[in-house]
Amino acid sequence: MTASLVLQALFAGVTNGFVYALIGMGLAVIFRGSHVINAAQGDCAVIGAIAAIFLLGQLGAPYLLAALGGGLVSALLCAGMDLGFVRHMKRRGASEEQYLLLTIGVAVTLSAALLYFVGRGSYSLPALGADHVFVIADAVIVEHALWLVGGGLALMLALHAFYRRTTLGLAMMAASIDPVGAASTGIDVARMRTLTFAMGGLLGAFAGILVAPMLAMDYHVGMMLTLKGFAAAILGGLANPFGAVVGGLTLALLESLTITTISSGYKDVIAFGLLIVIMIALPNGMLGRAGRQGG
Amino acid sequence: MKPPLRWLVPLLVIWAAAPFLMPHAINDLLVFATLYYLSGLGVGLALGQAGIVNLGQALFFGIGAYASAYFSTRGVPMPVGLLVGALLAAGLAALLGYGILRLHGFFLGLATLALGIMGHVLFFEWDGITGGSIGVGGIPQVSLFGFTLDSSERHYYFAGAVAMLATWVAHNLMRGRTGLMMRAARDSGEAALSLGISLHRLRTAVFALCALLGSVAGSLFAHYVTFVSVDSFGLMKSLTFLLVPVLGGMRCWPGMVAGALFVTFVPYLLSRLGDIHQVLFGLAMIAVVVVLPNGLSSIAVMLREAWRARRSVAAPAVARPGPQAPSHRPEVRHGR
Repeated sequence: MTASLVLQALFAGVTNGFVYALIGMGLAVIFRGSHVINAAQGDCAVIGAIAAIFLLGQLGAPYLLAALGGGLVSALLCAGMDLGFVRHMKRRGASEEQYLLLTIGVAVTLSAALLYFVGRGSYSLPALGADHVFVIADAVIVEHALWLVGGGLALMLALHAFYRRTTLGLAMMAASIDPVGAASTGIDVARMRTLTFAMGGLLGAFAGILVAPMLAMDYHVGMMLTLKGFAAAILGGLANPFGAVVGGLTLALLESLTITTISSGYKDVIAFGLLIVIMIALPNGMLGRAGRQGG
Repeated sequence: MKPPLRWLVPLLVIWAAAPFLMPHAINDLLVFATLYYLSGLGVGLALGQAGIVNLGQALFFGIGAYASAYFSTRGVPMPVGLLVGALLAAGLAALLGYGILRLHGFFLGLATLALGIMGHVLFFEWDGITGGSIGVGGIPQVSLFGFTLDSSERHYYFAGAVAMLATWVAHNLMRGRTGLMMRAARDSGEAALSLGISLHRLRTAVFALCALLGSVAGSLFAHYVTFVSVDSFGLMKSLTFLLVPVLGGMRCWPGMVAGALFVTFVPYLLSRLGDIHQVLFGLAMIAVVVVLPNGLSSIAVMLREAWRARRSVAAPAVARPGPQAPSHRPEVRHGR
């Protein structure tokens, strides 16, 4: 294996790692705020991205506005999921499996709705920085990949600051960790959960929009994105804000290593095998902190 | 007649008469419903009795189908493929289950989902055995004691008999000591542990049984369709199997029968509406999860309760004397 091949694999790994990390961040936000694993996260990302693509292409909105519009669509979708179903089920005291079934049902419905409304075609956004590439020691990296990595890091830091520094972020955490205590200090627990879902949807859409120039969006990539994002979040630790990034990078680097050394067919087997092993061996993820029960 | 027989006998008659009353296309669906029921029964046992969400049943279904395809296309009699598949699936489930059944809730669900996807990839990659995306064709029809299963009616009866046998075994298992232990473990793990019940071993055994039923269903599926390819063993198939107990009701077999009929007939009926049918199916799934946590069988329970209430209000004097209903009627509605 030549040095440039290793470097190329590294670049691919880092780029994909941030894709997984962005999805994983949204999943972790929703999980921390509501104790629900949103199996529709990938589909929310796809819908956010496709909404942005339509705003950009059909309505000619500026890039930033289209991105915000896509984010809004996905945020409303997730908030609607909470208001329509999760709130009702929380009141009933539904079990974890039932939430999983609910979000899988939502994922199936969204993916079928995409198939129905936008068809089988795949959609992509124009890349930021056009098709400009950097060549380092014969290895190529497109400029958009740098935007993706930068965007991922910025979102991670913003999220960290949000949960540490803002009243709203602290209230969301409090509502999740101790609903009764939070309610007694005047926090509207149900509203915090809805906001959590909206924020998860927003993050999901940004993930989709940042990824869309590199990975074409269609009706069936959603579930795969969810799973990879989930694997990333679990690997790093759901409770840790940096977990998704660390986990995503680990997962993607391992995948690109598998592709270069074994074969591309086995990358998912390796990735999901690792997911299972980590879940059993390191229940709190590689950064292990605070347990997965929330907070 | 004993209360269960009162509705079991008519049900059996309907089952036996169904192929004569239905058009051929429906009969084909009935065979699939039976196979989905068989596989879904395993998933339902795991979910309802041990709290295991199995989102990877297609893996075991696939193992059964490929084992049958592999052996029967090489001239080995049908029972060999079926048995090898079943043992392989149960053994693999026991092995994997030993690891992943430490997990609970979401994490267990996602672990089984990951297993299902890994299985799907491996079925595709190991094309020496599975034929990859091309698949294995020309699987011979089952021939038992000089009697060939060469029509969907015959398959229907054969698969139905296997399903009934499985139901009977599962029913007895759940009514007996094993079932009691399992319910104890599900409802209060710590209390069960303190009574010396090995939770982990029990859950592993249920998972293996679930895989075994999936594999048998897969074998029958391979012999029925005579062609298998990776497309039949994807995530959607796992989801279908999970929906059988979830939609129907995971704690009683009639519920699962209803679930199996739902997952075969509703998409069929909706498919006339075009691509929108998948959206409607997804919405139906959400509606059942949100509104009917115990599946369609809770409708039956509600109706029965309403009927009883009305009867006791309308005609209290007609009630028969003697040791009637409560002590006599076996309460088989396990669970919450």
